[in-house]
Amino acid sequence: MPADFVDERRKAALEAFEAEPVPTWRRSGFWTTSLRGLDLEALEPKRYDSFDSDLVHDHLGDEEHAALIVQRGASVVHTHVADERLIVMPLERAVEEHPDLVEPYFGRRLPHDEGKFPAGTAAFWTGGVFIHVPKNERIEKPIQVVWLIDEPGTAQWAHTLAVVGEHAECKIREYFLAPDLEGQALHSGAFELYALPGAQVDLAHYQDWGPGDVHDLSVRRVEVQRDARVKWVPIHLGGRLTKQRLDIITAEQGSDMRHTGLYFTERDEHLDLFTSDKHEAGHTTGDTVWKGVLTGDSRASYEGLIHIVPKAPEVDTYLQTHQMLLSPKAKGDAIPSLIVEVDNVKASHGGTVGELDPEQIFYMMTRGIPRAEAVRVLVEGYFEEVVQRLEDPGLEELVRRRVAEKLKGAEQQVREFIGERAEAA
Amino acid sequence: MTLEIQNLHVRTEDREILHGVDLTVKKGETHALMGPNGSGKSTLANTLMGNPVYEVTEGRVLLNGEDLTEADPDERAKAGLFMAFQYPATIPGVSVANFLRMAVNARREEPIKVKEFGSVLKENMDLLRISRDFTSRYLNEGFSGGEKKRAEILQLAMLQPDFAVLDETDSGLDIDALRIVADGVNAMRGDERGFLIITHYTRILSYVRPDFVHIMLDGRIVREGGAELADELEQKGYEWVREEVAAGAG
Repeated sequence: MPADFVDERRKAALEAFEAEPVPTWRRSGFWTTSLRGLDLEALEPKRYDSFDSDLVHDHLGDEEHAALIVQRGASVVHTHVADERLIVMPLERAVEEHPDLVEPYFGRRLPHDEGKFPAGTAAFWTGGVFIHVPKNERIEKPIQVVWLIDEPGTAQWAHTLAVVGEHAECKIREYFLAPDLEGQALHSGAFELYALPGAQVDLAHYQDWGPGDVHDLSVRRVEVQRDARVKWVPIHLGGRLTKQRLDIITAEQGSDMRHTGLYFTERDEHLDLFTSDKHEAGHTTGDTVWKGVLTGDSRASYEGLIHIVPKAPEVDTYLQTHQMLLSPKAKGDAIPSLIVEVDNVKASHGGTVGELDPEQIFYMMTRGIPRAEAVRVLVEGYFEEVVQRLEDPGLEELVRRRVAEKLKGAEQQVREFIGERAEAA
Repeated sequence: MTLEIQNLHVRTEDREILHGVDLTVKKGETHALMGPNGSGKSTLANTLMGNPVYEVTEGRVLLNGEDLTEADPDERAKAGLFMAFQYPATIPGVSVANFLRMAVNARREEPIKVKEFGSVLKENMDLLRISRDFTSRYLNEGFSGGEKKRAEILQLAMLQPDFAVLDETDSGLDIDALRIVADGVNAMRGDERGFLIITHYTRILSYVRPDFVHIMLDGRIVREGGAELADELEQKGYEWVREEVAAGAG
């Protein structure tokens, strides 16, 4: 018996989904994200009752977890809750078993009609993830969520709802994984997290959809309530086309957020990210840093907004965005912007788009370090600020390993690019 | 065992900077290369290390008989050549200790043992009076001029090259820092190593006494002699050299 509040949202969302055409996103006539290449009609939710754990194990390693939940395609195929204080279960089940915990938050920050794909997710989601951390509990080990796509033709409509109780502390990691798929797939995701007063949340998203033709169209939204603190580290290491909106809202006084992201694009990948740091109350603080590296023919656009609403004085926030091009054919765009509707706040932003400095490479080589290793070390050094913020040795190691592999793949191209730059200098 | 520079012509995209330089440094010797700004000293140093900004159009660089003229910078380092940079690059995200370990290991078959590396590093830091917390900082990030130069000499001490080129290591240092750097260099002098000290000023040469002095002007070496040549230059200045050369040419 599905709960009414879910059903009603599904119905309204389906109408919105059917009314909306497949969108094309354009910014100032220069940047376009188009889904022309996506054959939506050919994709469908695929149901499973088991999964091949190798890919998951490769990424999560042997680290102990407080809970692990895996959704493959349209089905939750594995749930293990090691820490009994927690509720971690498929959202479908939570709607029935814990409607009192789910209903107050379900979709609260995710309107069902903010675009074709958010509407599709609200209408079609299956399985899903619900995380509830009771008040005053400190959960040391990570709560791990895995979204797995391993068959072409998959449409994965995903919804995660996380509620972290008052003065509770936890670590939440979501992984988005696919092997090298021959054919198209879609992940259309919705993520919402509510950090209740005084909660401390360490949140990370790790996306690596592999070299296949996976489209990721997702909205992730985090609400930080009074005196709560959320540290959020999204990592983007793969996906044919990614169009995401990541919002973090300091909603009540004393709330604080640290948002630090990283991306590495290669081949013909297309990444279009919009993040916002929204301050709905005074006496809130924020810090956003994003760093990206582009190789191959890839495109990456990052737009970061600081938005401070009226009646939110005494805000202190900062946004920085950096991009490094390692290929003459890659195209990047990094735009920080600011909407401040009140006086008496501290808000600033900055950004750089650049390349590896040939003088740095020369310097390292004069110390006997070969060129490819110098490039690797410089790129790792550039990312280090973000990677260290993960404060999670397993995940840090995974990110470093994947970045090193990607650089190895781009070695010849980077070498030529650096050579050209040095001669042009 | 020698570093030989033979008839070296070097250009950048727009012009020739070195017009045929000959210079030989044997192991155990310390040479000073002096000259006014723009005379080509730093070009020579960078060319010796294989900076791709400079193109060798004629002549050769030999290290212990091996022709390094076309070698990549890392091969030159492995062959035993080192340069202390005038303006070393900043390497964000890489600590001094990690960078040093990488550089030391680049020249070895087996990576150095953690304990051995630690004790050699400590010894050299004591020699250069460098404080403990220095090694956990990112290399050259936020370093003062003096700290950068000391980090260069620390690398020299850790890598123990056969030949070291110091490119204006003395400039921008106060007397105390200059003394520390000079003491470090003196401690490393010996039969096993040759030095080429490039400087604009004679000041460092009163702490590190050279065996030979070469004066460069407009991309050529125009005067050579012993340490007394530096003393003469100190009294008479570069204008004197320029006039002498002009008179000689006329």
